[in-house]
Amino acid sequence: MRGIVEMQLWQFALIYLLLIIVLIVMKKCHINQSKLLIIASVRMTVQLILAGLILTYIFENPHPLFVLLYLTIMITFAIHRVLSQNKGINYRFKLAIGMSLAVSGLCIVAFFICIVIGESIFNPQYIVPISGMIMGNAMTGASLGVKTFRESFNGQTSKITALLNIGVTPQKILLPFVNQAIETALLPTLNSMLGMGIVALPGMMTGQILSGTLPTTAILYQIAIMIAVCSVVCLSVFGSLYLGYKTLYNTQNQIDFAALNKN
Amino acid sequence: MDTILAAKNLCFLEKITYPNIDIERNRATFICGESGCGKSTLLKIFNGTVSPSRGEVTYNGASLTALNTVRLRREVLLIAQTVFLFDGTIEDNFRQYYAFREQPLLPANEMKIYLSLCCANFDLLMDCATMSGGERQRVFIAICLSFLPKVVLLDEPTSALDEKTANQFFISICQFCTQNSITLIVVSHDKSLIDRYADNTITLAAPKETII
Repeated sequence: MRGIVEMQLWQFALIYLLLIIVLIVMKKCHINQSKLLIIASVRMTVQLILAGLILTYIFENPHPLFVLLYLTIMITFAIHRVLSQNKGINYRFKLAIGMSLAVSGLCIVAFFICIVIGESIFNPQYIVPISGMIMGNAMTGASLGVKTFRESFNGQTSKITALLNIGVTPQKILLPFVNQAIETALLPTLNSMLGMGIVALPGMMTGQILSGTLPTTAILYQIAIMIAVCSVVCLSVFGSLYLGYKTLYNTQNQIDFAALNKN
Repeated sequence: MDTILAAKNLCFLEKITYPNIDIERNRATFICGESGCGKSTLLKIFNGTVSPSRGEVTYNGASLTALNTVRLRREVLLIAQTVFLFDGTIEDNFRQYYAFREQPLLPANEMKIYLSLCCANFDLLMDCATMSGGERQRVFIAICLSFLPKVVLLDEPTSALDEKTANQFFISICQFCTQNSITLIVVSHDKSLIDRYADNTITLAAPKETII
């Protein structure tokens, strides 16, 4: 095994040629997204260059403050993404989502780095990539879970009303929606665990192997991160919805049908 | 008069004000009035699924705000205009609703009795997805009545029925309620039904014109 080949800049630029193929297919199939493709590619390039520069600086000057700042920005962004994809939900539900994402993400990251790997939480070489993967997946999972719950709540008003009117408690009516949404949010992670190692080598493992890590070490990290991802998705969705659904009814057992559909 | 439900100085969202209302026990009270005068809202206030912005409702003399609303709704059962049936057969629906209420399921012959009471003499294994709107409504009402509430609030129960079926429906419902000491409150537009089946009638005033 040897370390990764440093790409020459001009060689690297060749990869952009592949985008031309995508553009040609888009033109041929009348997909009017060529503008989005260009914007997305440019944004990706600029964002990653910035990230590269910032990470290089942080790695050379490790300081707990940088790590804290990085974590704060990342968690805020993750919460913002979930909330912006689920507009119209009430304030207390939003608070539940934010708290659940932050707490479950931080706990899992801390457990992973401090206990499983045994490194300092402030070592940027570990906290940055690992928290990135964990928060990224927590974000996708929570977003999917909340969206599923919101859609079934908004779409099944007549069922909820009928059950409420015959004297069923709001908890008993809403919990099946919560459980269903948690299941939906977990399924993509579980499915990717099923195909792992056969259908594709996951990104982190690919990266480690390319940079010269023994595959046997790389799989340990990969297994650990997958289990961490699965648990963070589960915890963040569970927290968001279990705390969140309680904001939908009051002490009079009245359900606010507009709670997830405000402008 | 033996009053079971009474409303005083009710007002909803500052738009609808109600007269003082007394509902007589074990009688059929019909509520009528123009669209938008708050008939359906009144039923929702009666079973505690919405709260009035002002005023008080008492059930058997106790204020609704002091009662356990879930237990209240089991006694004061609202059958709204939009019905809901689960996927599956009529029997499946009885099973699902009874499971949600955490009550032991009725034997099949009793389900049949409630169905025929609501002019819905269908086979218990009939798939609800294939039924018409009016048929679904009657099956839903049958399930609700089988819970034997103390007060039944019916919101436009015969809106999807022809005149003959509507009359049959009311004859058997009124008879059933008298036999089982159930107070019936019905929202209806149909003048002929009111004349025939109402013991008491409450006419709500049209909503106040809002000045823009």
